[in-house]
This record gives sequence, structure tokens and C-alpha cells, in this order.
Amino acid sequence: MTTGRPGFGRLLLSEWTKLRTVRRWTIALLAAPVLTVLVGVQFAVSTEPGSPDSMLAGPDGTWVQDRFHFVHRPLTGDGTVTTQVASTTLDIRVPERDGGEARARDVERPGWTKAGLMLKDGLRPGAPYAAVMVTAGHGVRLQSNFTTDIGGPATGAPTWLRLTRAGSTVSAWQSADGAAWTPVGTVTVPGLPQTVEVGPFVTSPDAVLLQRQFGSLFSMPYQTYTTAVFERTALVSGEPGSGEPPNGWQDHEVNDLAGAQDPPPGTGTGGKQRPSGSPPAEWAGDRLTLTGTGDVAPHTPREDLVKQSLTGVYVGLIAVVAVAVLFVTAEYRRGMLRTTYTATPGRGRVLAAKAMVIGAVAFVIGLVASVVTLLLTGPILREHGFLPPVYPDWSLGDATVLRAVVGSAAVLAAVAVFGLALGAVLRRAAGAVATVIVLIILPQLLASGLPASAGRWLMRLTPGAGFTIQQTRPHYEQITQTCLPEDGCVYDQPWAGFAVVCAYALVTTAVAMWLLRRRDV
Amino acid sequence: MSTVDAIRAEWTKLRTVVSTPWLVLTAVAAIVGIGAAVTAARDTRGCPTPSTCFEDLPKLSVTGAQYGQIAVVVLAVLILSDEYGTRSITASLAAVPRRWMLYLSKIAVLTAVVAVAGSIGVLASLFVARRILPGNGFNTVNGYRELSLGDEPTLRAVYGTVLYLALVALLSYGVTAVLRDTAGSIATMLVLLYAAPILTRVIDDPVWLRRIDRMSPMSAGLKIQATTALESLSIGPWQGLGVLALWAAGALLAGLLALHLRDA
Repeated sequence: MTTGRPGFGRLLLSEWTKLRTVRRWTIALLAAPVLTVLVGVQFAVSTEPGSPDSMLAGPDGTWVQDRFHFVHRPLTGDGTVTTQVASTTLDIRVPERDGGEARARDVERPGWTKAGLMLKDGLRPGAPYAAVMVTAGHGVRLQSNFTTDIGGPATGAPTWLRLTRAGSTVSAWQSADGAAWTPVGTVTVPGLPQTVEVGPFVTSPDAVLLQRQFGSLFSMPYQTYTTAVFERTALVSGEPGSGEPPNGWQDHEVNDLAGAQDPPPGTGTGGKQRPSGSPPAEWAGDRLTLTGTGDVAPHTPREDLVKQSLTGVYVGLIAVVAVAVLFVTAEYRRGMLRTTYTATPGRGRVLAAKAMVIGAVAFVIGLVASVVTLLLTGPILREHGFLPPVYPDWSLGDATVLRAVVGSAAVLAAVAVFGLALGAVLRRAAGAVATVIVLIILPQLLASGLPASAGRWLMRLTPGAGFTIQQTRPHYEQITQTCLPEDGCVYDQPWAGFAVVCAYALVTTAVAMWLLRRRDV
Repeated sequence: MSTVDAIRAEWTKLRTVVSTPWLVLTAVAAIVGIGAAVTAARDTRGCPTPSTCFEDLPKLSVTGAQYGQIAVVVLAVLILSDEYGTRSITASLAAVPRRWMLYLSKIAVLTAVVAVAGSIGVLASLFVARRILPGNGFNTVNGYRELSLGDEPTLRAVYGTVLYLALVALLSYGVTAVLRDTAGSIATMLVLLYAAPILTRVIDDPVWLRRIDRMSPMSAGLKIQATTALESLSIGPWQGLGVLALWAAGALLAGLLALHLRDA
């Protein structure tokens, strides 16, 4: 051994040698990816997709819902439609067996009820569209083709709305008085035919009530109805109507649940099948009262297949944590640390070298385990019927899947460094292993027993939050996703949770460095 | 040295180790504290109507055992792994040359400590739950009976939980006798206990769910806490505890063999 300060590279090499020459640790480190893959495969072979109400695909292949009440007339070529949404009212229907009217007051009111003007390629559910609308909780919006959502002025009814088509470009406007117009935005709707259907529309997504039953939390959806009053709806250009309303306006309910078929011919007001229970459109002069239920929005599957395939990382993690803790506590126990510090007097440097070695090893283990798991589970899940549009195809090259894979490895590395540092602080294997595992695993189980908000905060503040980086489900602002913390909905942003676990690793390492300098070996 | 002497020696060792009182305290505090938190979180307002909550109240009140058991695992692991870690196992075996006697006297002391700590924990949990639940709407007005040990199912849930904790301790002890290593044994035990609930959260095939639920030591063993809807359980309360007992017996036997066949 050379005297003086050995190079950091040499220090890394000696720590690496220590790690790989203890046979039990090697076995444990090999067990980690094996457990991870086994759990993932077990998940894949024992999971079948549910049968969703509708498997409607939008213009870009996304799984969508398309259900609304539409009063429409054809518009050929370019044109403008204007209306005033005079008022909107919401009605939540809770069945009597669930407490009826009294219960309806406890239900969270949906913020994304929509009343406004739509321009759509025919009446087929899933067809391209653009729409300007006033919502209950999110102001005026311009939306198109289910996934595009542009925010406008934050006002509610009464308000004037206007939609203008020029080729495949659709612009939306809002006005308080019908004279001074504020632009909401412009969208391009590719492939709009020459003749489209335009007119007022109303829809109203389900309200959700969280209920505890049989010791678990259920989210119960209740159908809601929004009734909007439209005044002075007018089509500038296109064929002008004549005489009293409806003078050419036709009443139709677009409903993806009724089987995506063309509407029956001869549509007029009333006299049609209405599985939704909305009353027909009512005209009083040029005042239109329209009630709708449903939603025009993207759908997201309840399951996040990538995240669930990678559940085994939780189990593999336990083995990695055990080795990471022992990597430092074993030296205390055997007095080996005195030899280590004699060889390398810089104590902080020793801990840094150990952290880098165990972090790198954990990262590689996590990477191999996640890649192998996804390579195995992908084909099995497809074979089990997890197919587009409900479950979009994914491959390791997708940005979100890649983030989940590399993220899982990085979380494993951060947790290993956290375990190592805690081992250096506590100097006892039992306390450190138990603490790290309790902090990561228990919130996952305990969250389901606590109120949803308390459970979410418990999961946000513990290192297990890092696993939010495994999320691959798209997050849409324009739908209310009821997702419980125990289902993995901890942070909306995948990186936020990763920052939490890194903070645990960094702070504990800093404390360990400080203590190492102060304490005797 | 007689069996009584060996047990007395083990008791002295256990009670004089600094970590023991802390672990016992942690176990009791976790059982009571987490049980109270989970119980306080349940309210009849979250149910369709106040009288149709379908809540298993005795089970709810002793839920804390699921979490407090970690301290029990650590205690059971340390009682043996510490001797290997500090090499005092050689001295212990010199004093008690019959290895099975050393093994059994540790079991006796461990079981007694866990049974006492567990009893304090679950009885206190039940007492706390009786104070909390009526305020959350689980009262006689809404048709819920007050928790009472006079109820046969409640008694089974409460004392079954103590048995459950003792069996978890024995399983941990057996695993440690095989592995000898503190971190390795704790990690193995936590995988054994918690892998099943993590797995069952992502699996929805009922056949596999049932299979995992009735085979894993924790989910099967905790069935002893159930007092309502017994017919819908994957395995009956006592049968479930029996599964855990089989796990514990297997581990203890393997540990005893390991102790006899290997050098200390």
C-alpha cells in the first residue's frame, strides 16, 4: 500500500473488491433481480384485462369517450356559429339504495361539465371535432380531437361563445356581451370534410364519491346531468334556416355506449332512443334548453401495465437494502473499519467511495431487472388481451417506458445509498435495515387504511414516493382522474417523487459524513 | 445446567441488552398507535348509510399488529443473530453444551416476551378503539355493538393476534438460526411477510389471489382477526393461523438442524 492519500480510483476499486468477495452479498444481490423478474412475470400471467363499457378509439388511436347531447345542422365550407350560454345547472343522480338526494350533497361536483358549441365530422362517436365550451370549474376551453385542450378566460355562464371554421383550422372566441370578442385559441383538425355538423352541445361527466366498504376504499361513479340554456344560436353562412326554431336544427345524442353506429335517419326533435335518460331538446323561440350526460374526453385505463410489471422492484429492493446496510455496518462489527481508516484516513472519502460503489451496483441491478421484466411481461400481457386502443402498445424505446426503466434503477440506487448512509449513522444493521424497509414498504400498505388525503401525504413524504417515476399512464388535465394513493397516484409529476427519495439519500449521507468526522470508530 | 437455569440465563441476556426494551416499546406503541390511527380514520359517514358499513370492527381495532410485528421480527432475529455477530455464541454453547436446550430456552424466553408485549398491545388497542368508534358513528344508535371480549369472535381476534405475533417471532427465530446474519434475516422475514400484500395489489386473477392469500404467512395468519363474513375468506381463521404455524414449525426445525449440523 502506498503511503499518503491513495487516489480515489484505488479507493473505489478496494471497496468494489470488498463488496464482490463476500459470497452472501453476491447471492443477495443476484436474488434481487431474480425476485423482481419473478414478481413481474407472476403479475403478467395472472392478470386479465377488464371489459370496458366502450373501446372507442379517437382520431389518433387514443382510447376515448364520446357521449353528449348535440343540436346540430350541417355547415358546408367555412362558416361561423355563435351562441350565448345563458345558464348551466347540474343534477347529480344518486340511486335511492345509495342514499338518494341526501347523498348527492356529499358528492364532489364534477368540474368538467361542458356546454358550448361543437363542430364535428358527422355524428359518429370518435369522429374528429373541435369545440368551445364553458365548464363548471375550468372556465372557457377550446378542445379538439379528445386530447387537445386550450384554456380560455376563466368565466362561467352567462357568456357568449363563437366557433369559426376556415379549412381545417378552427378558432374559438368568447365574449361577455356578444360585441367585444376575446380569442380563446386556434386548433387544426386534420381531415375535416367539406360538410360538418355544427351546433350547441352539452355533456356532464360522472361525479365520484369515495366510499369505504368491507375495509377498502371504493370510488363510486354517479351519473350527472347538466342542463344548459342557449340563446340566439346563429349560423353565419351555410344554409340559413327559415321560420320558427328548430327550423333545421336537429336533435341527436352521440353515445359511444350505444354501439358506434350511425344515427337512424329522419332525426327530429324527440322520438328517438335515449338510453342516457336526457330529455329531448326544447325550443322556446330562439331559446334552447338542452340536457346532456357523458363526456367528450380521453379515457385512461385504470391499470398502468408498465408500473405494475415493475412492482417486483419493491421486493428486490429489500435484498439490495440489506447488502447496502451491511456494506458499512459489517465493518463496524468486525472492527474492519479501523483497518480501512488506517489505509484511507479521509473518512468522508471512504463513505463516498462506498456510496458510489453500492449506488452503481444497485443501478445496474435495477436496470437489468427492469429491462428483463418488461421484455418478458410485454408479450404475455398482449397475449392476455391487453390491446389498443384501451391499452396502447408500448416498447422499451418509448420515452415514458424508458423513464420507468431507468427511473426504477435510479430509485434502487438512491435507496441503496440511503441504506448505506443510515447504516453509517446507526452503526447497527438491524435498526438500519428495518428503518429503510419500514419507510418504503409500510406506507404502501398503510395508505389504504387511512383517509385518502392522509394516505397520499404519507406516501408523498416517504422514500417510496420515488416509484412514481414508474408511471407511464398519460396524464390529462381535462379529465378528473380518481386515483387513490394506494394505486400509485402519489404525485402527478413522475419526477417529483424521485426528488423525494434523492433528498433522503443526500441528507442522510450528509449527516453520516458529519457524524463520521465527530465520532470515534 | 438444568433447563430452568438455561432459561434464566437467556432471560438475563435478553433483558440486559439495550435494544430489548426499546423494541418491546416500539412494538406496543406501533400496535396501539397505528391501530388507533386506522380506527380513527373510519367513519360511518363514508358508508352508503350509517348502519350499512360492513366494517369488521374487532379486526379494525387490532390492525396495528400488521405493522408492530416488524419490531417483533427484529427482536426475534437479534436474540440469536447478535450472539453470532459478537461471537458470544461460543460462550453460550460452552455453558449449555446441549444445543437443543439452548435453542429451546431462547424460544421460551422469546415467546414469553412477545406474548406479554402482544397482549398489552392488543388489549390497549381494543380499549382505544372502544373510545374512538362510538364517536365515529359506530354506536348502538346505528346498530353496532360495543367491542367486548365477551364476544367469542372478538376474543378470538384479540387473542389470535397475540398468537399470530408469537408465531411470527418463532418464524423469524427459525430463519435466523439458518441464516445467522442480522440484516439477511430481517430482510428475508420482511420479504416473506410483505411480498404477498404487495403482489396481491397488482394481481386481479381471483384464483392466484386466493392461492397467494392462503399460502403466505402474513395474509393467512392474519385471518384469525376476521370476525365477520368468514365464508368469504380464502381460508378460515384458525386454518389460516395453522398455515402460519406450519411456516414457523418448518423454520424452527430447519434452524435446529442447522444449529446441530454446523459449527457455531
